[in-house]
Amino acid sequence: MKKAALAAAFLVVTLVAPAGARSTPPPALPAATGGSTQGVTPSGMMYSVTPDPAQPAAAVALWYRAPASGFGAVPSAGLSRVAALTVAASAPITGTPLARLAQELGARLTIEAYPDSVSITVLVSPEHVARIVRAMTADYFAPVTDAAGLALAQHDAAEDGLYRSYDATDAVEDAVENVLFSSGPFHDGTIAAPKAVAALTLDDVRAYAERAFRPANAVLVLTGKVTPSAVTEAATRDGATLSAEPLVHQSVAVPDAPARRSASIAATGLGWAGPAIDDEVAATSLDFIADMLFSPQSGSVQRSLGSLDAKVSGTFVTYHDPGLFVVTISGADAQAALPLVRRAIAQAAVPLSPAAFAAARAGFAYRLLSDMETPEQLADTFGWYAVEGNLPYAPAGDRYFHVAAGLTPQVVARMAARFLGAAPAIVTLVPARTPTPAPVKQS
Amino acid sequence: MRMLAAALALALMLPAATRSVAAATAVVDLGGSRAYVRSDPGLALCGITLFVRAGLERQGADQNGLAALAAESVLRQRTSAGVPVTDAVSALGGSLSYAVAAQYVRFYLEGPADSIDALAALVSRALAAPAFDTATLTAARTALDARIADDERDPRQVGMEMLRESHYVGGAGMPALGTTNSLAAFAPADVQAFFAKWYGRGDAFVTVVGRTGPASSTASAALVAALPAGTAARAAVVTARPYGAQPKRLVTRRDVFAPFVVIGFAAPSLGDPDFPTALVMRTLLAEVLERPSATTTPLLLRAGGTIYGYDTTPSQLTLWINGGMIDPTAGISAIDAVLKRAASQPLTAAAVTRFKERARGEWALENLSLDERAWEIGNAVAQGLDADAAAQVDAAIAGVTPADLQRVAQRYFQRFDVALVLPRAGSGG
Repeated sequence: MKKAALAAAFLVVTLVAPAGARSTPPPALPAATGGSTQGVTPSGMMYSVTPDPAQPAAAVALWYRAPASGFGAVPSAGLSRVAALTVAASAPITGTPLARLAQELGARLTIEAYPDSVSITVLVSPEHVARIVRAMTADYFAPVTDAAGLALAQHDAAEDGLYRSYDATDAVEDAVENVLFSSGPFHDGTIAAPKAVAALTLDDVRAYAERAFRPANAVLVLTGKVTPSAVTEAATRDGATLSAEPLVHQSVAVPDAPARRSASIAATGLGWAGPAIDDEVAATSLDFIADMLFSPQSGSVQRSLGSLDAKVSGTFVTYHDPGLFVVTISGADAQAALPLVRRAIAQAAVPLSPAAFAAARAGFAYRLLSDMETPEQLADTFGWYAVEGNLPYAPAGDRYFHVAAGLTPQVVARMAARFLGAAPAIVTLVPARTPTPAPVKQS
Repeated sequence: MRMLAAALALALMLPAATRSVAAATAVVDLGGSRAYVRSDPGLALCGITLFVRAGLERQGADQNGLAALAAESVLRQRTSAGVPVTDAVSALGGSLSYAVAAQYVRFYLEGPADSIDALAALVSRALAAPAFDTATLTAARTALDARIADDERDPRQVGMEMLRESHYVGGAGMPALGTTNSLAAFAPADVQAFFAKWYGRGDAFVTVVGRTGPASSTASAALVAALPAGTAARAAVVTARPYGAQPKRLVTRRDVFAPFVVIGFAAPSLGDPDFPTALVMRTLLAEVLERPSATTTPLLLRAGGTIYGYDTTPSQLTLWINGGMIDPTAGISAIDAVLKRAASQPLTAAAVTRFKERARGEWALENLSLDERAWEIGNAVAQGLDADAAAQVDAAIAGVTPADLQRVAQRYFQRFDVALVLPRAGSGG
């Protein structure tokens, strides 16, 4: 599954098709969508269009394979987010910045930075889809960045970083990836301190935008009330490099001892390197396990917490190679919850009874589908799997659900033993003695 | 719906560029009760909402929280396997929830289209013969207490509850979930009596969204049929107190990190011809509190916003200001100046065009999830409107004129009450 966005709920992703022949057909599981149109334009832009005429709105998204801290040897924290924000806030040659256009149309523009990718999404009334496709692709394919746009971007990115630093799940994922991966974008993380954001210059942003936001590195995703012909509205760019940024394997190095990190909040994280996105059966199994153990209402770990003052979340993040299984524990009773989590993880290596497995799989499939009800959620799913290098496996389509339907208690248990049987990377976040002022909380 | 249709017909005569009215809800007779079905075959899930006329308005003076306790108790009914029905639904791959509004309570069931009938069968059994015993009520109170505690941490919710209580008469103004103390006072017989009096099949209906088919038809019929026969002795009518010439100032302290100001206005309801104009006014007010941003500012980071309670007739619009993001006094002054200006003279045509365009876009994004889409249909029906009333609002917004805005500003937005939610000593701020 993909990573959750700011304030988003738990999400799931991934499944695998077993290689061997089956004596009996797997039980049917419903796919999230009826069908998609996918392809590549002459300028190298990949696209995926999934129309649903009954939806009240549409999502237009651009996804890029782009490291959060830049392409250089020395990481620049927050660079992908600031660059994408700057383009949205700067006045393009055509006049209206994308951020202002979205506002004028009553649309919602969101920009998310992940360790190895960045997304720009506009949720919009169907009548404006073509206009947004034109504006968004023109703005990003030939990016204009100006000082006013950079100032707004730095403000927004600093604020975002501050809030994320107080979100246990976000903070733990960043810290676990920093510990578990020895170098590269996963190690560098996505949460940037305000000082680092402020240090980014217009030259940094321009150089990054020119390389990252090329058409050939882009995936245009259209979902909801759209028509495939909207793709033809996309801008082109003459002379741009026609190859996408390569997919990169990330090197794992599990530390011998638990790590401590100074942070805004107290929390504990556990992380395991998981299967690559191409290992579909294994990746789907880990999605299943994450749901079985940690889904907010019905997960076995959640139920075992009882009256403990602890919050536990867990997910499998389907990266290109390897994936990441990460667990976050916070709250006053976090230490008491830790053994419950470890026990549940160990227990996952024991096959469930057929009845328990069937129930768990039904719940898993439902929660997966319920996370893809809106155009924005669907666009996120397609975009994520495209930039991670396995679009056909996106959970919105038949293939993922076919793999899920083929899982057995034994397969899932074997995958748990294989990927979660080893000692995890453990990170303890310790609040700094002089904390940054806490942001104003709203539910 | 007819009132709105008349108003919208006028708007549709205007030559402004309008979107086609896409929604088309089928009405199905379930043997007396109705199902309102809007299919989306592009999805794998089906959502069914059962609307029952057992909302806050049904509560008597000493029944604060009883509507929520009855609804929560339905979800806590144990199946033959001995587990609460919500857990049983979850185990089969679905979800069940409820929400209490002034004029109805709604139960929302969601699951894969081909198994929604099996899920509905579980819920139907719970509705058909609920046991309001001590154990069930204890579990229900525990769940409600947790939700109440969550709401208490949201200053916007706290302020809105205060303003609702001030504006609406009787049960409709009570907190949606009651209070911990009020819930503790109810005996099983109280809940049983409330259920028996108000959970009548004759007033109930369902809305069905997502992928529909034979299973959803079976499920819809089963849910309605599970309710006891009968119709309530009176309609669910809500009465509101008019706002005074001088604003009421309501103050409370909570464990919040910054002061919040919440302002309540009377507002036209969904079926009112002025509703589309009020949506444009909502956009105008929200924009006053916006700061320049590179994206749409997440709710978490906004200085202010609006919540339009058009789930109730008459409606209330609340505007909140986050004192952690903006000086509340400056925010109130800015809002006050805009409202006075809007009432004293018409906005320019260009400004109105801009606000209308934005309001139309925002309306298109108003209800996106299946739950929201099912609510949108049912909320219109519950207020006596056409099931597709919400889909016709877009065209009506396009017809709003500067004179409409001035009139609505004068009629609805010059009188208001103010709730102040302040941090307790030691809780920040």
